[in-house]
Amino acid sequence: MSTRILPEFDLLAPQSVTEALDLLATYKDRVTVMAGGTDVLVAMKSRFRTETVMILSGISGMDYIEYDATAGLRIGALATVGQLLDHADVKKKYRALWEAADIFATPQLRNTATVVGNLLRASPAGDCSCAIYAIGGKLLLQSKTGRREVDVDDLWLSYGVTARMANELAVELLLPAVGKDTRTAFQRVTRVNEDLAKLNMAVRLDMSGKICKTARVAMGCVGPTPRRLTGIEGQLEGREITEAVLQKAADTVASEISPIDDIRSTAEYRRDVAGVFLRRTIQQACAGAR
Amino acid sequence: MSKHAITLIVNGDEYTLNVPANRTLLEALREDVGLTDAKYGCGTGECGACTVLVDGTRAINACLTLAVAMDGKEITTAAGLAMDGVLHPVQQAFADKAAVQCGYCTPGMVLKTISLLAQNANPTEQEIRKGLEGNICRCTGYAKIVDAVQQAARTMNAETPARRAAGGNA
Amino acid sequence: MSNETVIGKNVRKVDIVDKLTGAAQYAADLKMPGMLYGKIVRCWEHAHARVKKLDLSQAVKHPGVVKVLGPKDVTQKKYNASVLDLMVSESMHDMLGDIEDQPILGDYVKHQGDAICAIIAKSEEAAERAAEKVIVEYEPLPVYLTADESCKPGAVQFTPLKQGNRAFQLPEPMFPKHVLGWGDVDAAMKEADLVVEDEFYTPKQKQCQMEPHAYIAKYDANGNLTCWTSTQMPKCVQAKLSRLFEVPMNRMHIIQTTVGGGFGCRLGLVSEPQICALAMAVPGRPVKLLTLREEDWVISPSRHPGKYWMRMGFKKDGTPVFCDAYFRNYKGGYYLDASGVAFTAGAWLGGMYRFGALRYRGESYFTNQGITGAFRGYGNPQTNFVLEQIVDRACAQLGIDPVEWRRKWHKDVGDDGWCPGVPYTSCALDECLDKGAAAIGWKEKRAKYAHQTGVKQRGVGVAVMNHTSGAMPMLLEHTNCTVKLNEDATAIVTLACSDMGQGSHTALQQVAAEALGFPLEDVQLKGGDMDITGFDIGAHASRTLYVGGAAIKMACDEARKQLFARAAKHLGVTPDDLEMKNKVISVKNRPEKSVDVKTITRLGVYHFVDPMTGKPEGEPGQIVASVSYFPQRNSPPFGASYAEVEVDTETGEVKVLHLVNAHDIGRAIHPAAVEGQLEGGIQQGLGNVLTEEIYYDKDGHVRNNSFTDYKMYGPSDMPKITTILVENPDPFGPFGAKSVGESGLVSPIGAVANAIFHATGVQVTDAPITPEKLLKAIKGKQGARKAAA
Repeated sequence: MSTRILPEFDLLAPQSVTEALDLLATYKDRVTVMAGGTDVLVAMKSRFRTETVMILSGISGMDYIEYDATAGLRIGALATVGQLLDHADVKKKYRALWEAADIFATPQLRNTATVVGNLLRASPAGDCSCAIYAIGGKLLLQSKTGRREVDVDDLWLSYGVTARMANELAVELLLPAVGKDTRTAFQRVTRVNEDLAKLNMAVRLDMSGKICKTARVAMGCVGPTPRRLTGIEGQLEGREITEAVLQKAADTVASEISPIDDIRSTAEYRRDVAGVFLRRTIQQACAGAR
Repeated sequence: MSKHAITLIVNGDEYTLNVPANRTLLEALREDVGLTDAKYGCGTGECGACTVLVDGTRAINACLTLAVAMDGKEITTAAGLAMDGVLHPVQQAFADKAAVQCGYCTPGMVLKTISLLAQNANPTEQEIRKGLEGNICRCTGYAKIVDAVQQAARTMNAETPARRAAGGNA
Repeated sequence: MSNETVIGKNVRKVDIVDKLTGAAQYAADLKMPGMLYGKIVRCWEHAHARVKKLDLSQAVKHPGVVKVLGPKDVTQKKYNASVLDLMVSESMHDMLGDIEDQPILGDYVKHQGDAICAIIAKSEEAAERAAEKVIVEYEPLPVYLTADESCKPGAVQFTPLKQGNRAFQLPEPMFPKHVLGWGDVDAAMKEADLVVEDEFYTPKQKQCQMEPHAYIAKYDANGNLTCWTSTQMPKCVQAKLSRLFEVPMNRMHIIQTTVGGGFGCRLGLVSEPQICALAMAVPGRPVKLLTLREEDWVISPSRHPGKYWMRMGFKKDGTPVFCDAYFRNYKGGYYLDASGVAFTAGAWLGGMYRFGALRYRGESYFTNQGITGAFRGYGNPQTNFVLEQIVDRACAQLGIDPVEWRRKWHKDVGDDGWCPGVPYTSCALDECLDKGAAAIGWKEKRAKYAHQTGVKQRGVGVAVMNHTSGAMPMLLEHTNCTVKLNEDATAIVTLACSDMGQGSHTALQQVAAEALGFPLEDVQLKGGDMDITGFDIGAHASRTLYVGGAAIKMACDEARKQLFARAAKHLGVTPDDLEMKNKVISVKNRPEKSVDVKTITRLGVYHFVDPMTGKPEGEPGQIVASVSYFPQRNSPPFGASYAEVEVDTETGEVKVLHLVNAHDIGRAIHPAAVEGQLEGGIQQGLGNVLTEEIYYDKDGHVRNNSFTDYKMYGPSDMPKITTILVENPDPFGPFGAKSVGESGLVSPIGAVANAIFHATGVQVTDAPITPEKLLKAIKGKQGARKAAA
């Protein structure tokens, strides 16, 4: 049973990163960090209870999205999903992420929800998470004692659990610079357009002429966290993406995933169509999108 | 539970409030400010009945926003749109197209339209439909709403220079 | 028609400015001095259980709590939230077997969310927090989610009044052998060249009205119980609460607040018994009750799901020699209107085609699902999904065009309608079929899509429907209307008919203005306060404009007659000599001999006798006309829907490209409002056939009681819509109007299912037709083809 009125909690509203890190050092796992709050508040209206909430909205200068041809794309912890859509370099160079942002939730939620928050939610259905997983990237975590980078490959430990430690604040997401030979694409399967995914997937192909040099393939809703499909990647790498290669990828993907039945779909359906959508996503990437 | 002194500028009026940490913007508007045009529809950010605008054009779900996080912000609700009894062009378009049935989604739908047209003054029908996602209407099948948004876009584009000259906000 | 000045026009809807500016007040928006807040504590853990122990001691101690009520602290009388019992003669109650089985608060949980106890507190927050401190121990009972489970011997009996948990079957005296129909199906079976048969499942759909249920109630020292509610049936709610709480009608006050959508979920009591019980526990203090979205799934009824078996026999030329059908629907834990949909599903079936013989059986069984009851369409969506697919399967096998078959075999003027003995009074279904076919490009697309290759396959489908305008003679259709002319020649019409957003108050005001001959702005309709308005059965069965409009027209005709009689006397002529223009009554062809309407109305109220001459000034008395109206017919509307879909045969995904709703509505009083009904209906119909269903886990917990998990078509999912209003005035409707409130959602269901059949060659018998089910069916067909090859 949910509640209409949020349960009680104490609110911390730091005005700087330093202040936030001090508070994290003191409160550790007794504090829930809230950026946009669109996941946390829904959870709190349902069963989730927390003593203390720390909101980041008072910290200025963390809502940037900046692209640099060598450093890549830097996404501040408070940059919203909506901001991705307004960013020309994201649209041009990180097509999969832009597409994920474009269909992410609703315009209101895109105006509030943060990209970094989507990663830290560690949901198997996160759309931006899926795209970022395929593109690759590093999350910058800061604590009073220092900074460290966690590769997105190592971020999700299990459903809802990440490698972030209780005293750490995620301050930035860094996506690698991509060249003109990088192709990315994202696709999502839903019941109606505005919905959480029954299945989502993203691919990044780094091409050398017609040959796929390296591939990253991510799929969501097929396990407790988003999945990298390394078997599929192996099938694509070093090869021209021909119809036969695509067909083999489509035919074998089911063995790499472990979907379940839930309210949005069935394990059987997810297995049945994962290959179809994977083939289409790779084709979409090959068709020129980056 | 902690309490916080905040200031909200709602429809141009400043309100100094002392709210508990768990107060949502929706409750602050309805209970503290006394404006009931933003509605509770689902509480989970799906239906958009609680939509308000922040800083003029950014649509958010008031039910999923802590009042404290809005300290110092300008909030617009549907009650603040008509000026001197003259409907906002979006409201006028909804009236002309009979795009309102039960009305519960209407304040949110109107604000969402303003937000949409602020970002894209000449949206295609497809862009309108996509932009209206997040605002559920169970009565109209959205047909007349889409008509109204199209009309609003036309009138606002035609009116913009005049409104600017008059100092109104388009 | 041509002389009419107000009706047929898209005037500004009367409530639209208030709704656009946020001034419209819904129940949740009201605040009163000294107001307390209520919270109902529900059983979320179990769908079938007995309360072993209820410990309220911690909740009582919570700061801000005023009172905590357990099951024994409220009246022990039970109620039936449905209002069907008020709509049929008391002499029929025993035969129908309607029962009152719902407690206000209870210790026997029959479905998840059943009410156990209640908190009254100084704030909503205190009430919610205190509710979390109620400790309940349950003794779980076996959970039955289908009729097959609950009817088994040895199953726990939901009530001793209904053996075998069968809540209802068509009653014997009225329906011999429990059958609705005609002719001899067994004999007709022998004449059939083709028999098509299947078992279908129709889903449990939620109304999802945007306004969550909210109430205020107050009980004062003089024994007045007042309830502010957005019910769609205010008079019936007044009658039911009066009986339940033994408060006389003149002290049982119902104030209807703005209704944020109904679609049937407010057709009767929802939480009015609970809020009134809370108010009576704290006399003098208003109590407000706000509900969560997820509570809607357990406190207001949903559409009846169920198994629907049908067998139809045809001759080679398509003649439908018989139809044999059995609808076994699932009630929730309580009876409500178990007798309703089990009957009407068959009634719509019988009203549609000229079957040689019809045998329909309908039954309702208790289950531990959430309650079921009225939902826009009331049995018609279920029948449409089944009947229209069976017809198309037969047409495909017989090589007959589905439009031609329907044109040939649908019932028409003079045939019995859904109610035997009440013939159809008007029918423009052929015109609907023609115009709809043209709009969708039926002939070209049927041919074009017949032989497709590739992954994406398109199809077009058709379906037709009949509905009703009020439920006479099955149910009471009574309304009262009073028209009062003020001294300034404006009119007030009082009528209790609800506007749930459909625009009925606008259209009714148009009818009043037209009948009076007044400009629209000079007429105001008042409903809302049940102490002021006369009796009205409420907004059900698509009857508001048809019944309420006819009552208004009658009352206004009478008021106009009084006005003309006085004007005639004033001018020294007879009423027949007079005409009215711009509120001036003049002798025909002699405009100089005239009197202003205002003069007449003013002199009626401010009536004096000239002290000098001793002559009275005008006629004394205010002009008031009242009618108590019972319609003689139910003038059914008809509709034809056409759908064009694209199916992704690799994924089973369906995209609806175009939906045409052509409707025979008699006459459109406010065309935009009529279109709005049809367009909104399409959204709900598409949900019914494609995406919407309430799911339960094996323990009876609702799995999708939020808009995150229960998915409706949104703005970008909706197809291109074409609404076609076919105006063929009905001889009995006000200005020829028939209903349109429910019917728009019905035939899109069959049309989409049939378009999918046309695109893929497969029929999915289990609604909603999700990609999961459709893909399986497509693969099954491909597998069968391969095996055959």
